Amino acid sequence: MRRTFLIARQEFIKYVTRRGFFISILMFPLWIALIVLVPQWTGGAPQRTFTIVDRAGGYRDAILQELSRENAQRELNALAAYVSANADGDRLQRADPKLVDLLNTPQAEESLRSFRALGGTSAALRALAPFLIPGAGPFRPPVARFVYVGPPARLQRAQDFAAAVRPFLDGDRFYVAILIPADFGTGTGRTAQLFARDQVDKELRAFVTDTLSDALHRNVLRRLAPQLAGSDALTTTADVETRVTSNHGAPSGREDVFSTFVPIGLALILFIVSVMNASVLLQGVVEEKSSRMIEVLLSCATPREITSGKLIGVIAVALVTIVIWTCVLIALMAMAEASTVRLVFAAMRSVATVGTLPLLLLYFSCGLLIYGSIFLAIGSMANSLADAQALLGPAMLILMLPNVMISGIMRDPNGELASIISWVPFYTPFFMMLRIASHPPQLQLWGTTALTIATTIFLIWWTGRVFARHVLTTERPPTLAGLAKRGVQMLTGRSR
Amino acid sequence: MTDTVLELTKVTKRFGDFTAVDHLSFTLTKGKILGFLGPNGAGKTTTLRMMLGILPPDEGTISVLGRDITKVRERIGYLPEERGLYRRMRADAAIAYIATLKGMKRADALACARKLLLNFGLGEFARVRIEGLSKGMAQKVQLLAAVVHDPEFVILDEPFSGLDPVNQSEMEQFVRNLAGEGKTIIFSTHTMQQAERLCDGIVVIAKGRKLFDGTLDGARALFPRRARVGADADLSFLRNVPGVVAAAAPSNGQANWTLDMAEGADGRAVLAACFEKGVPLTHFDLAPPSLHDIFVSLVETAA
Repeated sequence: MRRTFLIARQEFIKYVTRRGFFISILMFPLWIALIVLVPQWTGGAPQRTFTIVDRAGGYRDAILQELSRENAQRELNALAAYVSANADGDRLQRADPKLVDLLNTPQAEESLRSFRALGGTSAALRALAPFLIPGAGPFRPPVARFVYVGPPARLQRAQDFAAAVRPFLDGDRFYVAILIPADFGTGTGRTAQLFARDQVDKELRAFVTDTLSDALHRNVLRRLAPQLAGSDALTTTADVETRVTSNHGAPSGREDVFSTFVPIGLALILFIVSVMNASVLLQGVVEEKSSRMIEVLLSCATPREITSGKLIGVIAVALVTIVIWTCVLIALMAMAEASTVRLVFAAMRSVATVGTLPLLLLYFSCGLLIYGSIFLAIGSMANSLADAQALLGPAMLILMLPNVMISGIMRDPNGELASIISWVPFYTPFFMMLRIASHPPQLQLWGTTALTIATTIFLIWWTGRVFARHVLTTERPPTLAGLAKRGVQMLTGRSR
Repeated sequence: MTDTVLELTKVTKRFGDFTAVDHLSFTLTKGKILGFLGPNGAGKTTTLRMMLGILPPDEGTISVLGRDITKVRERIGYLPEERGLYRRMRADAAIAYIATLKGMKRADALACARKLLLNFGLGEFARVRIEGLSKGMAQKVQLLAAVVHDPEFVILDEPFSGLDPVNQSEMEQFVRNLAGEGKTIIFSTHTMQQAERLCDGIVVIAKGRKLFDGTLDGARALFPRRARVGADADLSFLRNVPGVVAAAAPSNGQANWTLDMAEGADGRAVLAACFEKGVPLTHFDLAPPSLHDIFVSLVETAA
């Protein structure tokens, strides 16, 4: 045990004193920060300006009404998130329960109608002002996705619209011009034209298409049922209210989004930390083999003590990595608004509860040990880094598979795919970290946990055997079939 | 208490179909220096690794310090053939690390490492990384790492390879000092002169099999003494002189005739025969066979 600790300590020191260690550690938060900040610096999704030449009549107004509705909806969503993080909910509930209801269900058509009737964002903020908590930052309304620009006069009657609009598109007067021909909505005329200099924003195109389609439908209904003219029945949309019946409750609004991303983040961190540290472990073993340091170690300790020490050392390095990243996160939080901090912590609490935190730590440690054992075994079988790369290629393809399945799993965390793949031993820690916030069935939770522990113990044992068998040989690395055969021999006790 | 520090009994090691060590048996007593000799691929390193418990023998037993190797790791020092140190570690820390793995406390190990480096003329390099040391210095550091924990039994695999004559001489003296302290030493080497100067006994192996096990005098007794005679004439008549077993004409750059002498024969009969023939001699010497000659003869015989 003492020798295991000494080797672990040496491994830890060896890795953390490398020149590249802190650089690579700090690169990850920097990378994340860039992913988050760059869109903010660039203003998020680009704002698109457009103009409409409506030769049929009535459709321009329909688009502008829908645009107004959409902008109001986006403001209401943002305001709801702002209030959940910055207002004293209890006091607000007592003082203005209607406003609270409206903000709790921002997607509801009724809420949007009430919000607009109230006077929009400025009126709502005035009503909310007495209930904002100290330190609450100012509300920043979202930037409108699409902005309407009136059409130049000479476009209105231009015969060759494409030629007439080109100078305006080239001069960036607007990003897109929409031509609604005079026969639009009559007979078979249902084709509007959208002119852009090069590529077309898909969201803007979808917005225009949907809005014009709705307008066409309404016109048809008005013709068929004139009595509906003026009624808002034609513009009414259905609401779907979400009710969660489990005991776990459900986060709402931005918390919901964060609660989805936190497990993905944890699983990705597991993968990145594992691959980062396990690669260094592999490289270290290959170097020790080539420098014969491994012989000296083997004259001092058993193969099992060496492999255990190395794996413990890697776990320690990984924990330091996590601690540093946590410190960076805290530093970023200190710079962020109180509302963002509260949201992040609320989301983390929703994932890492008292009940799930030990399991998350277990999955993380087991995942690290599983990846570390595999890389260590590969390192002990390789005679050079080139050999190691040849073995590492297929192993990496297998180990990276979970990453391509994240979106599928997160769409249905307790679905069939997730339930099946969680029982694949190498992947269990990764997928259960993804699923844990979705409260998987107890049998799956505890069954896969037991499987993870058993897999980890087996792999550590197997790595010890592979290490002892291969670390001093200079024979060619075994084939996959050879490895499988040897694994069977080990399990049946027929190997030397 | 037994004086036997190392005992190999019919030890065999195979790698697939290849037998690297074949029923090898020998013993080493306390305080002795044993030269473990053999050509490349003879099985020396495999045998040393089995002695260290790095490789298990397929057959036979190995007893070190009267016990199984796994029980006495901390009482053994080992210098591998190729230098095994972490390149980025400082010299004192590298020595201390091995010492701690051998059971020393870190503070003691570090203090001992610095003292040894000082005694070995490397005091000023104690805080230098291994990658910054010359090959000779790194070799010394490696040797110090093998003995810093005061082992009773020291295994040295090619300890002199790659060293210049001055460093070789220093290293020889160091090995002698270790033996003087009562440590038992086995070392493998290709350099016969060093083995001749240092060893109390030798074991010669080839193709995994033992060819000789005994003292240098015992080895010499197995082979005839040789006389080397120089003259500007044909000396083939010496083959008929009593006491001369064989005579070989000068060849391969050798300027002199080489005569294998029978046991107990001296050179007087040879000198008398030359005098009678009126052949003036330019060279004459009579010496026991060198270890080099013995080694070559043994290995050639085995081949």
